[in-house]
Amino acid sequence: MRNITKSLLVATSLATVAFAKPIVTPSGVITASKVGSINLASVSTSSSMWSGSKPTSIVLYPQTTIKLNDKKGNAVNSDAKAKMAQIQAVYSGSTIAFKLTWSDATNNTMAKNASDAYADGFATQIPVNYSDPKKLPYIGMGSDGRPVVVHIAKSIPAYFEPNGNKDVASQLATNMVNAFGEDLKKNRAAIAKLSKQYHKAFISEGFRSLTEIKDGSDKSGMSMTYDAKTKKWTAVIAQSLSASSGAVPVAFAIWDGSKYNRGGVKNLSSWTAVKLQGKSGGEALIAELTSKPKGDAKAGQVQVEAMCVSCHTTSATKVASSPYMAPGLKNIGGYTTSAYLAESIKDPSAVIVPGYNRNAHKNFKWYELDAKTGKRTSTMPPMMTDDKSINDAVAYLKTLKAEVEK
Amino acid sequence: MSKRQLAMVMDLNKCIGCQTCTVACKTQWTNRNGREYMYWNNVETYPGTGYPKNWMDLGGGFDAAGDLKEGVIPNIEADYGVPWDFNYEDVGTYNYTKGDATPAFHADSTPTWGPNWDEDVGKGNFPSDNYFFYLPRICNHCTNPGCLSACPRDAIFKRDQDGVVLVDLDRCQGYRYCIAGCPYKKIYFNSKISKSEKCILCFPRIEQGLPPACAQQCVGRIRFVGFLDDTEGQVYKLVTKYKVALPLRSDYGTQPNVYYVPPTEAPAKFDAEGRIIEGSQRVPMTELELLFGKPVHAAIKTIKSEKEKRAKTGESELMDILIAYHHADMFRLDTNYYQDVAKASGNKNPLAPIDDRYSKGKFTADFSLPFVDEKPHGEGNKTEGNAHA
Repeated sequence: MRNITKSLLVATSLATVAFAKPIVTPSGVITASKVGSINLASVSTSSSMWSGSKPTSIVLYPQTTIKLNDKKGNAVNSDAKAKMAQIQAVYSGSTIAFKLTWSDATNNTMAKNASDAYADGFATQIPVNYSDPKKLPYIGMGSDGRPVVVHIAKSIPAYFEPNGNKDVASQLATNMVNAFGEDLKKNRAAIAKLSKQYHKAFISEGFRSLTEIKDGSDKSGMSMTYDAKTKKWTAVIAQSLSASSGAVPVAFAIWDGSKYNRGGVKNLSSWTAVKLQGKSGGEALIAELTSKPKGDAKAGQVQVEAMCVSCHTTSATKVASSPYMAPGLKNIGGYTTSAYLAESIKDPSAVIVPGYNRNAHKNFKWYELDAKTGKRTSTMPPMMTDDKSINDAVAYLKTLKAEVEK
Repeated sequence: MSKRQLAMVMDLNKCIGCQTCTVACKTQWTNRNGREYMYWNNVETYPGTGYPKNWMDLGGGFDAAGDLKEGVIPNIEADYGVPWDFNYEDVGTYNYTKGDATPAFHADSTPTWGPNWDEDVGKGNFPSDNYFFYLPRICNHCTNPGCLSACPRDAIFKRDQDGVVLVDLDRCQGYRYCIAGCPYKKIYFNSKISKSEKCILCFPRIEQGLPPACAQQCVGRIRFVGFLDDTEGQVYKLVTKYKVALPLRSDYGTQPNVYYVPPTEAPAKFDAEGRIIEGSQRVPMTELELLFGKPVHAAIKTIKSEKEKRAKTGESELMDILIAYHHADMFRLDTNYYQDVAKASGNKNPLAPIDDRYSKGKFTADFSLPFVDEKPHGEGNKTEGNAHA
């Protein structure tokens, strides 16, 4: 009897240890083939420029670092799975283009008059500065002093946004306009002309600081199409890139409207190296982003469960005392790099993001904010100092991630 | 918390449910551009489902520990009501000879729900003990707003100068966590512009010394508007001095700034023979306690005793205020206050004296409103695509 119990215990503990399973490489290296030219305005999924580019599979993990307050969304996504996307890349001079394909059972757009419907969408994220591959910006839209540029497309019908161009009169409903017949048609055409697709560029130093770039400095083109037969989205984006070396870190995100995805509720990839074909350099970045954790994950688990779990949720069973206490770690291995994890264990204040709206969970502030300088200091003390412990913990944390959706 | 707080008091004893406030608000702000379904001001029958449907059960607000609670985002067809329109354009070309079962002139959708679907239904049995009263609702411009706390983009702000809670449409990306976070469901999603919008307490009016449209138009003179710290104001007297105006569902933890004088007088109940049951009250205190908390007992007591005092002595400041002899006295907006704030900050924009956040973001190019900067729009990249409300 005792033996059975013991073996059961062993089996249980093995089952919870994800490293026992083969580690799926979260992301290979995407190779961007060099093409003649890329036209930002007319970038399309069917362009011939994609023909020479080989797709690379990457995995996008559900964002579980913070818990938002949409009751239905939280219920649907409590056990969200990771998703696979195929990425192709091409570049020309200072322009890079990506083509993403991913499965989605439903085509979600926001119909007219929808108050609680959400659209499918996708995004790319590129750091403003990535010279030190060990100090890339935080994956959740950058961090203090480490800005990123994010491009987002959503599959919502063309919409009108206030724009300061004195066209307020066109906001009126047609039955309030003093126009009939042909004049009404003209009026509608004028309104339609003011409407645009949700294709936006943002600069950000951590989620919550995301700010739209509206000064015309961003040049990009995006489009996305849904194939009802294969139940797949294909999306393309072309954007400017000032790459000094041969590799660039890029991260991708996708939103599934049917699962109440929007904003922070999404699937995102880790930083993924994109090798610019025929351009030298970037080996350090590629090495860093494809490196396997050096530590002992089993030893790391013992440490993490002893030192971290009272504040950080790491799995369905290892739950923090409050979901708002500290960033959730259920998928941390999926979307962060080993270097980031090591840096944050050693020096928790090295990477700090604005985090929750500070008014939402006043008892859990995550960091002290210096009102004068705006400098943030993490409320987490440095937990481990010796490299062995840190490497072990990182090796374990890298195993924390959801299964890939079949 | 803001430096000053503008507040509104609504006297429920005098609300006749005429919806003039609703119409004033609608024609001023919400009859266009994706806002058609929204009622920034609505008057609902209580007890009833309210607007949106069963809003009190949809979550949001804060728990005892101070954590923002999860909430549900209402559905437009089921919970708000679709703003239907008529087929004016088809009437001219319609074939009247084909004998269609659908009338030539018809609504473009068949609504199944809408605001005031259950107007005047109330609770109880007619004629023995049925009851209801009207509950006008606007955004509470809370001191601890659920919407603001829920926003993952910092797109909602509370003005320091008067506590008005506004959406920065430049930052809003239409995620709608604010709707889940607001326990009063008084912030709405505009699908046409893909952003959230809400009652703005008519800030362009108050900055010029005019009361909000809903308060100005109220035929029953139930609405008082003023700063909570203005001891000469009637709002202060009702809320702080006499404590007869109470916040709605303060248990949600958002510290709302719209205060209600609770229904004090209700007819007595009838017995089986239709005789008055002396001393009975149709509106149960449990209902009033749910809405306004325990202090509702003291508030009703004060009003009754002041009423008695007035009847005996002919004098009662509280009764004079509630009678609302002079409409103008009900609004103390202190026009110069806003102008002084603008002057102190060197702001020369007469239409936005205290806040220009609608047009500025951290990484947005510098931008001036057209009447300040006479340069034509679209000149170069500087102003292209910039947003302001």
